[in-house]
Amino acid sequence: MKKKSFVYPVVFMVLVTAVFTLVLSFLNQTSKAAIELNKKVELHRKILYVFDMYDESDSVEEVSKKFEENIEEKKYKEDKVVYVLKEGNETKAYAVPFDGPGLWGSIDGYIGVDKDLKHLTGIEFINQAETPGLGGRIGEAPYKEQFRNVDITNKVGDEIIVNRPAPGGNIDAIAGATQTSTFVKNMLNQDLIEFISGGGVE
Amino acid sequence: MAKKLNPKKIMKDGLAVENPIVFQVIGICSALAVTNLMLNSLIMGIALTFVTALSSFTVSLLKDRTPGHIRMMIQVLIISVYVIIVDIFLQAYMPEMSKALGPYVGLIITNCIIMGRAEAFAISNPPIASLIDGAAAGLGYTAVLMIIAVVREFLGFGTMFGFNVTPANWTAWTMMIMPPGAFFILALIIWIATEYKISKEKGVSTK
Repeated sequence: MKKKSFVYPVVFMVLVTAVFTLVLSFLNQTSKAAIELNKKVELHRKILYVFDMYDESDSVEEVSKKFEENIEEKKYKEDKVVYVLKEGNETKAYAVPFDGPGLWGSIDGYIGVDKDLKHLTGIEFINQAETPGLGGRIGEAPYKEQFRNVDITNKVGDEIIVNRPAPGGNIDAIAGATQTSTFVKNMLNQDLIEFISGGGVE
Repeated sequence: MAKKLNPKKIMKDGLAVENPIVFQVIGICSALAVTNLMLNSLIMGIALTFVTALSSFTVSLLKDRTPGHIRMMIQVLIISVYVIIVDIFLQAYMPEMSKALGPYVGLIITNCIIMGRAEAFAISNPPIASLIDGAAAGLGYTAVLMIIAVVREFLGFGTMFGFNVTPANWTAWTMMIMPPGAFFILALIIWIATEYKISKEKGVSTK
């Protein structure tokens, strides 16, 4: 019969694949804008949070408006971006990208530092895959809020961020997630000191 | 295909008698992975139900034209189409959920329940019956996920659907939201359900 022939299965497969691919590419095309917008808004929310300017009740429009009005993007190193908070023409603070290894996967995010490079403004993680409920708590408010207004002028050894109860500590590590806390501390120290010693961006 | 297909029976089989997770013990990977929050489990269950129902339906629609030796390729193709639709939908309209479920949405493609239903039922039954069968299996999966998630979220976070329901001095069982918690709860559910089934069968046979 026809079904047993060599050509039929090939033609059938090609046809079915073509039809489904068409359907998918149509859907992809129609939802592309929405997905891009979501990603952009998500990033904007996070950058605003770093500068302590984010309000959870803000609508998508308000977030975009706040972001466009106050924040500028500056190229940093080769492929990274530093977000600069401006008031009029004056620079107020920077959101500096950081990244490094975590316990389960790499962690990255932004740490805010004021224009004098003396105080932190806040922290936000973009990607992290730490254990939910343990290391994953770095993504929760109680941990992140600790980074508001932290004085980073006192160096302990060559670290500016130190987990308590070590002497000179300024951040509480997460109980039960010592490794994650240490990883975060290390990547912050490394990337932040590099940024500060470079004197910020122009 | 002489036997009559009773939608009610198909539904009951999928939900209880042949519940994919509890009695067939398939599709448990995602059942272990996403059940530490009830909302995640619910969305995952709905997504899987959608994919299982519609892919069974489509497989059944095409079954008379599909050459036997390439039917699995066609099935996987159909399943992945629906999974990609779910993935696009979540990314566009529920970005938070898309992030919370992470790779598990894409992994629905490899969920044994879908392929199992396509091979065991859809390939030899009419489309509407296959649709019901797929939905029943999906709902059976969702039901078990929700049971696991209720226990895990309550004990692990002290919340239900994200709402706090426990007193302030509640000590969360961190174990529950980590992978071992899922294994314990799932094993308990399978144990209880199997015991129940055995005792019921014994009761029937002694009558």
